[in-house]
Amino acid sequence: MSTRADAWPAGGIQPDWTLTVVASTQDESGRILPFSELDDRRLVDACLGGAVEAFDVIVARHQRAVYQLCFRFVRRHEDAADLTQEVFLRAYRGLRRFRGDAAMATWLYRIGVNVCLNQVAARKAQELPLDDAPEVRAAGGDPASSLLKSEAGARVRAAVARLPPKQRATLILRVYQDLSHREIALALGTTVGAVKANFFHALVNLKKLLAGEAIEKP
Amino acid sequence: MTHLSPEQIVDVADGCADAALAAHARVCDGCRANVDAVLDAWRLAQSDPPPEPSPLFWPHLAARIGRDVRRTRVSVPFWRSWGWRLAPLGALAILVVAVAVGARMWPPASGSEGPAAGARPGAPAQAGAEPTAEGEPLDDPSWTLVSVLSADVSVEDAEASGVLPPPGGTDKALLQLDGEERAELARILREEIGARAALDPQDPGA
Repeated sequence: MSTRADAWPAGGIQPDWTLTVVASTQDESGRILPFSELDDRRLVDACLGGAVEAFDVIVARHQRAVYQLCFRFVRRHEDAADLTQEVFLRAYRGLRRFRGDAAMATWLYRIGVNVCLNQVAARKAQELPLDDAPEVRAAGGDPASSLLKSEAGARVRAAVARLPPKQRATLILRVYQDLSHREIALALGTTVGAVKANFFHALVNLKKLLAGEAIEKP
Repeated sequence: MTHLSPEQIVDVADGCADAALAAHARVCDGCRANVDAVLDAWRLAQSDPPPEPSPLFWPHLAARIGRDVRRTRVSVPFWRSWGWRLAPLGALAILVVAVAVGARMWPPASGSEGPAAGARPGAPAQAGAEPTAEGEPLDDPSWTLVSVLSADVSVEDAEASGVLPPPGGTDKALLQLDGEERAELARILREEIGARAALDPQDPGA
């Protein structure tokens, strides 16, 4: 239940505050809603109210996307799983800071990018050799085409890993996580114009790297 | 028209550029080459399929995270967890501030109508103001005394002293006192005010 200041009748004295009350996990008919039927914002409220089970639902909803983001950065299944765990743990610790003005996924991506870039910077993972193949299978296809796709994918992954951090983060969020430029700007704490410029340079540099050319690091 | 900027090239490649930019990209060889290069690289990047671990991995990962989370506490400000337990302390602290400010602001004794407490340390502030244990808080003279003293304390002063209790904290704490406790509180306040007035009865605001 929420009461907003703009819901007051026109012409009357309108308060300059907004009252939002999360009364319970019941719907309008009084039915008790399971956590799985609540939106992310209400799950966060439930978590802050002490219901840690609500966070399990958040994890179930977003773990695949967060894992895939982490995998794009570190290219190893075990590392991606560890980083995914770290992302959710940081999110849980900082749950009070989630205000709901961005989607939960965008907020998790923001944490994820920071965690991954820190990890990559610490380990210099971008210099991993090409034959350090991922321990996960590519989705679908017959074995021969899967192998070709896997090899082509490994080359692309190696090239992406050699991009400068901001360009890499932008390309991963745009191409693989399918975020809009605005969502990427929110996730990276930058402007839409900067996101577009980074995306342009990321794609130009990716093409150079795949052609065996060197790129200029900013 | 000048060539397209990197942002505009991305917009054209994304299909969200305005008509003028898209038209320029069609007729300008340099800009069209840039758009084609961006689209080509975009397609190459998309050729890398998403990683797909075993279906058994997801419940395993969720369980790992769940265990980790249950060993962690969400950080909340300390005052949230203490809540009303700090209210009596805050109320007591604000009363001390009230006494100090009230003693400074207490009007000087003048003639027979002024409060005798200024000239007679320890004497009651007002005739007939003796509190009763059974009295309602709002009718209680000691409550009135505390209210009068507290009225002179600005929120800024209290906040600056770092002792501001939660809204309503002082009222709640005082309402929880029984008659004897309120009477004792009033006695302490009168002693304090009387002692200060006795030190300088002509200039209590100094």
